[in-house]
Amino acid sequence: MSEHTSGNQVSDAAGPFEGVRVLELAEGIAGPFAGRWLAALGADVVKVERTTGDPSRAFGPWPDDLPDDETSGLFLYLNGDKRSVTLNLETSDGREILRELAESAEIVIESFEPGYLSERGLGYEELSKARSALVMISITPFGQTGPNANLPATELTLYAASGQMWLTGHPARSPLKNGGSQPSYQAGLNAFAAISAAYYGALMHEQGSYIDLSMQETYAAMAEAFHNRASQLGIETQRGGNFLNALWGIYEISDGFGGICALPRNYPGFATAVGLPELQDERFSDPGNRLINNDELMAIMYGWFVGQTRQGLMELGIEHRVPFGYVASFEDLVDSEQLKGRTFFAERDDARAGRLTYPGRLWLSNEHDWNMGAAPTLGEHNMEIIHGELGYEREDLVRLRELDAI
Amino acid sequence: MFDPGRPLTGVRVADLTMIWAGPYAAKILADQGAEVIKIESPRAWDNIRTLIPPPVALGEHWWNTNFYLHEYSRNKKSLTLDLGTERGKHVFGQLLAHCDVVIENYRTDVMDNLGLTYEWLREQKEDIIVVGMAGFGKTGPEKDAVGYGPIIEMMSGMTSTTGYGDDDVPYKSGISYGDPIAGICAAAAVATALIQRKRTGNGQYIDLAQREVMSTLLGEFYMDWSMNQRLPEHMGTGHDWMSPHNVYRCAGDDEWIAICVRTDTEWEALNRAMGSPEWGKRPEFSDQILRWEHRAELDELVGAWTSTIAKTDVFAALHAERVPSSPVWNMLEMIRETHLKARGFYEPLRHPEVGIWSVHGWLWRTDGAGPCILAPAPDFGQHNAELLGGLLGMSDDEQAALEAAGIIATRPEGVPPASEMPLTPSML
Repeated sequence: MSEHTSGNQVSDAAGPFEGVRVLELAEGIAGPFAGRWLAALGADVVKVERTTGDPSRAFGPWPDDLPDDETSGLFLYLNGDKRSVTLNLETSDGREILRELAESAEIVIESFEPGYLSERGLGYEELSKARSALVMISITPFGQTGPNANLPATELTLYAASGQMWLTGHPARSPLKNGGSQPSYQAGLNAFAAISAAYYGALMHEQGSYIDLSMQETYAAMAEAFHNRASQLGIETQRGGNFLNALWGIYEISDGFGGICALPRNYPGFATAVGLPELQDERFSDPGNRLINNDELMAIMYGWFVGQTRQGLMELGIEHRVPFGYVASFEDLVDSEQLKGRTFFAERDDARAGRLTYPGRLWLSNEHDWNMGAAPTLGEHNMEIIHGELGYEREDLVRLRELDAI
Repeated sequence: MFDPGRPLTGVRVADLTMIWAGPYAAKILADQGAEVIKIESPRAWDNIRTLIPPPVALGEHWWNTNFYLHEYSRNKKSLTLDLGTERGKHVFGQLLAHCDVVIENYRTDVMDNLGLTYEWLREQKEDIIVVGMAGFGKTGPEKDAVGYGPIIEMMSGMTSTTGYGDDDVPYKSGISYGDPIAGICAAAAVATALIQRKRTGNGQYIDLAQREVMSTLLGEFYMDWSMNQRLPEHMGTGHDWMSPHNVYRCAGDDEWIAICVRTDTEWEALNRAMGSPEWGKRPEFSDQILRWEHRAELDELVGAWTSTIAKTDVFAALHAERVPSSPVWNMLEMIRETHLKARGFYEPLRHPEVGIWSVHGWLWRTDGAGPCILAPAPDFGQHNAELLGGLLGMSDDEQAALEAAGIIATRPEGVPPASEMPLTPSML
């Protein structure tokens, strides 16, 4: 194909959320991850932080492992292009300022414990009085209702509660958890989709909506078809470690680990690419035979893979259209010509944290760019927003600070 | 009247996606109210229909009944159309004039090979929104690489973060994690493009690489590399400052519970749940740092408590004390789990040939929304007449001619009857 037919020239046109005010009352990863993409697509995301800051500021990594609220890599990653105001919602002044801020917001993202905001007169019903087309989403571990709604959760317990953990890990060992904070990140991505769809509905119909997103549910929904296999056929699925079968798994190779994920229709190309004559044997001739002789096939594969390299597998995969890959490290990724050439990374000299390279966008569009700017310091925009936009006097700000409201 | 649960009502999607990542995106669009037309060729149907023959062939038309298909294609319509023929392509062009969105997750070169370039699509509908979801994107030296979810996961950095920590082996997720992540993102991309079209009048082309989307879920690891040139250590089910933080074996075979303690308050709550054992008062467990330093011993003691009790009873005790915890639910337990049930997460799906089973409903719950599942996955070609006749105004004779020419069909070509299918419980 010619490259231009896909229309990949990035334009400097404004993003779809340009001019849209978003109020982010969310901490940690999930809500801020959703807000981050809205900001990258042009929204004015006002991040309301408790006076001690979003707890993610207290999680690393930090340059040279020196803890600092303004250089947490996690915070910097999740909060680019937002504005930060601090508000103490335990004070009536703090709540009043929030109400005033909400009047100009079209989208609200919140992640408090169920009931927290409505008990303080800040629930959807109250906040939508000023704007009936308000889109508001609550992101919590187990949703707003049900017996676990107020049960505290962590990444690990959500991983278990969503069924994902049962499926992951070696069959002879304990269930395993993915690295990082996947229950939170996936919920944030779902929230971004939910907000975008609901906001489109609000634009078309001038009617808002309130969305209750449960991290457990969005994660459970991607338990592949394994829960349907249970519900339609009554069959349990056991965790398989790194292998579903000989042609779907991860093998050791000469410079790390490589992988193959071949569906039955990929077998002919796979056998050609590998080039071993025994792969043409009757015992591997169809999916049924390959299943019966899976151990033999796997033994052959172990022997073959150990002589391969990461680059060699990629080249072979591209040449024969076979799903080969390798276990890439973050060093590999930041050096990847593919990713760099596609402008995947934000590369920024941060005033405090130094040179940073991190994923800066989700997709390429011929209609808009992605903002890839800095994250705000704690309360950086208090003056600009509370004084400049809401019209509080400078003396008010001093008073509010003394009252611990900001 | 506006249905808040279906904000995409009125949007029509030509869905050319197959297998998982793309159909997951189109499923979200369909659940959100879009009219999603799943388009398959009589000769190149969505492989998911026949990838896993049911162990007991469910009905004569088994390509319409397998659970895998229904997971991804409920609430959609089915149109068969051979896009590899000029006549099929012509009909597709007529249909596009009525569509807002085209979404595909073919290999990078397939759309262009079929002559379905962005330019051609725009000629059919000027402000069309096109989403391509190739694994590695539509440009660059790796654009022709192919990959399913686990490959995407490996190539994104995800797999490098996962492992037990004692064997230097990276582990993949139990699911093909790259697929649903790309699907969710593609659904978001469609919605943002609709917003932009509403504001500017323009459609757009979206080049979404599944591997790139997956990699955005790993921001802190990129930051650690930038800041400290450090690669992640495998943490297993442990944590770098919490303890207890693990999965503990419970009574029974392969039964586990995840327990985490973040604060002194939660440590005291855990002790109450365990019946306040003497060892819980030992000074080496008296604060967070000490507990983490003594985590191996602590894990053994907590594990000794859970090992003789059913995981549901352990959970009940922890739940009462608000200790972060959850049984490691298996799939048969998930579909009956109390909390999800109370929220109506799983909904009944009714199919005329199979009966009723449960599938997950709303990914997120909008106030005022009714049930999520309005229809099972459509039969192959079920909506041919409705779409070709009703929407495009094609006569019965014209439709019959298309069928005679093999451009449309109601049975995938070359699928053996159920009685000849191997009876295998394998997933692949």
